[in-house]
Amino acid sequence: MVDLALKTLLHDRTRFAITVAGVAFAVLLVLFQVGLFLGLLDNASVTIEHIDADLWVTSKNTPNVDFSHAFPESRVDRVRSVPGVARADNLIVTFLNIDLPSGSQESIITYALEDFERWGIPWGTWEGNLSDLRRGDYLFLDQSAAKRFGRFAVGDYREVNRERLRIIGRTAGAKSFTTTPMAFIDYRVAQRLNGQTLRGNTTYVLVKLAPGADARAVAAEIRRRLPYNDVHTRKEWAAASRRYWVANTGLGFNLFITVFLGCLVGVVVVAQTLYTSTMEHLKEFGTVKAIGGTNRDIYAILTRQAAVSALIGYAVGAIPALLIRPAMARGGLQLILQPSFMAAVLGGTVAFCIAASLLSFNKVARIDPGLVFRT
Amino acid sequence: MAVLSANEIVKTFQEGREQVHVLRGVSLDLHAGEVVALEGPSGSGKTTLLSILGCILTPTRGELTVDGMRIDPDRPSLLPAVRRKSIGFVFQQFNLFPALTAVENVEYALNVKGVRGPQARQQAEALIDAVGLSDRRHFLPRDLSGGQKQRIAIARALCNSPSILLADEPTANLDSQVGAQVLELFRSLARRQNRALLIVTHDPRVRAVCDRVLRIADGTLLAESRIAA
Repeated sequence: MVDLALKTLLHDRTRFAITVAGVAFAVLLVLFQVGLFLGLLDNASVTIEHIDADLWVTSKNTPNVDFSHAFPESRVDRVRSVPGVARADNLIVTFLNIDLPSGSQESIITYALEDFERWGIPWGTWEGNLSDLRRGDYLFLDQSAAKRFGRFAVGDYREVNRERLRIIGRTAGAKSFTTTPMAFIDYRVAQRLNGQTLRGNTTYVLVKLAPGADARAVAAEIRRRLPYNDVHTRKEWAAASRRYWVANTGLGFNLFITVFLGCLVGVVVVAQTLYTSTMEHLKEFGTVKAIGGTNRDIYAILTRQAAVSALIGYAVGAIPALLIRPAMARGGLQLILQPSFMAAVLGGTVAFCIAASLLSFNKVARIDPGLVFRT
Repeated sequence: MAVLSANEIVKTFQEGREQVHVLRGVSLDLHAGEVVALEGPSGSGKTTLLSILGCILTPTRGELTVDGMRIDPDRPSLLPAVRRKSIGFVFQQFNLFPALTAVENVEYALNVKGVRGPQARQQAEALIDAVGLSDRRHFLPRDLSGGQKQRIAIARALCNSPSILLADEPTANLDSQVGAQVLELFRSLARRQNRALLIVTHDPRVRAVCDRVLRIADGTLLAESRIAA
């Protein structure tokens, strides 16, 4: 079978290159913007995903994991008494000030526990011994802090909330949505450093369920016993923390506009080039009809041209996005391109390109076949 | 028996508030193996008549029978099937697909008419051979001369062995020598393959290969001349 659609498309290479470039630009824009956004969102819930807790008890209406509010630490005992709870511990998440050797002051977001290893935090590779944190005024600092705070090494001292702490370890991959560097200190040290708010208080209770326990039932019982707290499953809490940034900061709307503009650019370029191409080949479409072809045959040609433009444009746009990912990761930017997301963008690209060819369909459907006789 | 029969064909176009009467009751028959020329000045209705006879347009009134099938003007969706089965067109501007080679142009027409795969390629090559362009089968139209393009267009028109060939000014863009060769090809096709051939033309040389000459003016057929064999 002679592929008139493909041969005609490739016959005018300049026009084809313009079409592909338009689609590729749109694909690249969408993959970059959404991928970077997903990377940032991943930071918003990365600690929730890594901490080995099935349930999180928070103060009422805590919007996300970073913006915690204090409540009495003694409530952990009530949680421990709920059937189905294997263990429960207090966790403090709080912003503290750190003085840098340059004399400037910055913020760090601090996670404080009595036993870090028990909850699987911090994760990834690190330098130092976590159990040493219990021994005094020490901290683990994530290596991403070097970018903002300058280089540091194990054994260095830093003033945190005007108290001298020694860096005894480095972590990797611990990030927050706000890009504030993350540190890990002992629970009691955190309470002392921010005594005004945290003396006798915690910000979360982490809950590990007993094997076979029903998470929903246990959560409901904790809610009954702690009516002034909220209880979330890990999945719910991660989603709520991500949703906060999407809904409350305008980032979601900004992303929507960017994706919309990307799609619009792609659709306009494809629609315009296909329409121009159709107008230039109108007589050929008339000839297809004269030799017995139907509107359906011509629609098939235009659809195939749009689909081929979409597929090649997608490849040209997606390959650089995939290739540049490691370099971006080295620069501290996470570009998340999950297979499901890539597949959705591919499907969307093909659908939008075929939709763009509707403009040409409309023109072709009204072709006067008699134009084949005109000179 | 006539392979194409038109009876009192009327065609009226609406242009703004005015009705333009392009054909005013045209009747004609075409028989198998017959070559007929249709002559007339510009605006006389030649192309409109050709479009109706070729089932590209439907008449406003009148009856049209092609290959024994009566054409229903109220069902234009059936016309492509009639074109695929019974009619081959040759155009003044050749109307070849510029992105396809000579043999692909013919093969594509066969594909549209329902012939697929190796069979389509074999038939296309046979048709290219029949018009004497075996050595040019893989050339794109831009690399062919006017006469060669017209031969490819004729080969394409012969796809699926239509009983009727309709040619619109087939020699207009050819020099006299090549034009004569193309006309000779037409005549031999009609005679040897028993096809009816209607040639719309201004070219007086066409008369030499025709059995009859029809003249049209202001949408009406005038006197018919019969050419002596």
